[in-house]
Amino acid sequence: MNKIIGVLIVIGLFGSGCVKRAPSPGITDSEILIGNVQDLSGPMKELGAIIPNGSNMYFKYINDQGGVNGRNIKMLIEDHQYNPQKAVAATKKLIEKDQVFCMFQVIGTSPCEAIRPILAETGTPLIAPATNSGTMSDLTKQAGDLIFHTDTGYDRQAEILVDYIMGKNSDAKIGLVYQDDDYGQNVLLGISRVESKYGITVQKESYQRGAVDFKGQTMNLLKGGLTDVIIAGIVREPVVIMKTAEAMNFKPNFYGTGPTIDARVGKMAGSAGEGFTATYWAYMWNSDEAGPKLYRELCEKYDIPQPYIGLYHYYGFATAMLLVEGLKRAGKNPTRNSLVKGLESFDNWESDTFPPITYSRNDHAGVDKVKLVQMQNGEQVVISDWLE
Amino acid sequence: MKDRYDHENLYWIPILILFVFLLPVFLKGVSFSYKYYLFVLNLAGIYIILNVGLDLLSGFTGLVSLGHAAFLAVGAYTSAIMVDQLGVPFSLSLILSPIIVGLFGFIIGFPALRISGMYLGLTTMGFGFIVKRIIISFREWTQGSAGLEVSSPILFGYTIKSDWDNYYLIYTFVIIAIIIGRRIANSKIGRSLMAIRDSEQAAEASGINLSQYKMLAFFISGIYAGLAGVLFAHTSSFISTDHFDILLSIYFIIMVLVGGASSIYGAVLGTLFIVLLDNLFVPLIEDQIQLLFNTQAGDIQSLIFGLIMFLFIIFQPMGLYGMWLKMRIYWKLFPFNPRQRFT
Repeated sequence: MNKIIGVLIVIGLFGSGCVKRAPSPGITDSEILIGNVQDLSGPMKELGAIIPNGSNMYFKYINDQGGVNGRNIKMLIEDHQYNPQKAVAATKKLIEKDQVFCMFQVIGTSPCEAIRPILAETGTPLIAPATNSGTMSDLTKQAGDLIFHTDTGYDRQAEILVDYIMGKNSDAKIGLVYQDDDYGQNVLLGISRVESKYGITVQKESYQRGAVDFKGQTMNLLKGGLTDVIIAGIVREPVVIMKTAEAMNFKPNFYGTGPTIDARVGKMAGSAGEGFTATYWAYMWNSDEAGPKLYRELCEKYDIPQPYIGLYHYYGFATAMLLVEGLKRAGKNPTRNSLVKGLESFDNWESDTFPPITYSRNDHAGVDKVKLVQMQNGEQVVISDWLE
Repeated sequence: MKDRYDHENLYWIPILILFVFLLPVFLKGVSFSYKYYLFVLNLAGIYIILNVGLDLLSGFTGLVSLGHAAFLAVGAYTSAIMVDQLGVPFSLSLILSPIIVGLFGFIIGFPALRISGMYLGLTTMGFGFIVKRIIISFREWTQGSAGLEVSSPILFGYTIKSDWDNYYLIYTFVIIAIIIGRRIANSKIGRSLMAIRDSEQAAEASGINLSQYKMLAFFISGIYAGLAGVLFAHTSSFISTDHFDILLSIYFIIMVLVGGASSIYGAVLGTLFIVLLDNLFVPLIEDQIQLLFNTQAGDIQSLIFGLIMFLFIIFQPMGLYGMWLKMRIYWKLFPFNPRQRFT
């Protein structure tokens, strides 16, 4: 009997304390493996190459300093071609096959929405999804507690723009040109709120993703006699709309939501783009704050090719800073759960890249304000303080 | 009387079915990434069901369809709405949704009575755009372009949630789909469809009702796509219009061609080949490129797919199944095979 008890005690010891605890996926003594799903060959492939390059630059900087708690950060990148099904397959591969610790910066709203079930099933956090959609910070949705958003939502951006326009001119007649997809839907949500707030009706014109001709929409805006037009597009759309309007001798004030902040918009639109005002939720990459200064130093140090340097590359860098801070706060032996807790401890965290960020158990929204950036004489100039 | 299946060796089919059902156990035993492999196999299974139907339409009947992603979408959205918003049981949706999509196919079949070839392809492609617009317009039901969350399938009170469970659900239907597909192909219907493909005039002269059989081909193909759509929606948990773009329809055609048109087994082989290539080998190549050159591979998938299509069309127009048949005949005749027959 004593022998049996002895054997049971030995088995119990092995079963409880003596056996080393299995490490978290993606964590070794020398490395933290993270997964990123980008659009490398789809409609947003230009951003897909640039954004993770900015992140890798910052990871290299951290790794050169000894990494996070002695571990180097390594990022695996997969291509989803802006197709949700491919995003699911790529995420599944990264989590189940490559065993990444967390997901980072997945680009696009519908790809991010599509991978929610996998995040929820495996308990894998997604940090800084590269989309402005306000749905990313909706905690009631599946895996909402695992997603940490950084960007000001499209709905908030639209609200802030209308507030700004109405503040300048209470008789303004406002129009909106929006992409008829999840991006546009999120903008419309914000617009419907300000319509109720001011008792106005915003003239709405939609277009399909990938459209190249906007004569019909521009003509309708012209007929509406609008004073201010918000364009919820990316790069090509605002350029073509403003040029078409100029050709029709239609000269309202043009504004754009987050993705139109790309400097190419104003430059490609030429004289038609002069005065174009876009929203931006971080410090400008070429400004004098500490974050942008460090960014420019690192670009020089690591010999980043000139075409990469700019707003989206800087965005990759800024979101990488946020992830690294979260990893630091996750402790010496990080788990997915401790990463979530680490991020939820952000209380006005100041990175000098984004405005101060606060996360909590009930708030994963990140930034909720924007600055307005205007094209003046072919250059982007910040014309406002933070607007909420 | 001799049965029409007597000439086939069917003894290996139970072995194959046993292999299909034991595969997850084997994968779990040999790889910690088995969930990913099961996910890929599940996707392949859904596409096999659709492609068996597409092969009956395009391979057997010769009616080109570039709208099968839209058929898949109709099946997926119909089932998601019926189950999650109207409270229809999943088991009933498994029957109703494919029939509804079959009826859609029937309607799309009307133009096929007057047009063929490239023009029919363009018409079915147009159907894809119309379906997308309809899905976006019926926002109250479909959530527009934001996408729709879909519940997991519930069968006999059991919720099917994991990749493991999904595998058994999907492959049960894959086996049923292949058996029915083979039966149709070897039946009077199948022979009539092939007769229409080879010569419409000759078929009509033989007493085959062209309109009836063409519409029937679209109806059957729609049922297959509808079933695939139901399984796709409930095992993916999320669907959106971005899932079902025109490229997916082209992707289906490639699968059927690579496998070998006019062969049910060819559709299966082609689907497995392309899905496994896309999800297992292309990422492997991309990872190696990333490792060796410290750069993203970008559009390597398009390059590989383009190359495969090119090579198959030039050197192996009968597809993978055609290759298998050639190999089989070669070994049967060995060593008396005339060289020129196999080069």
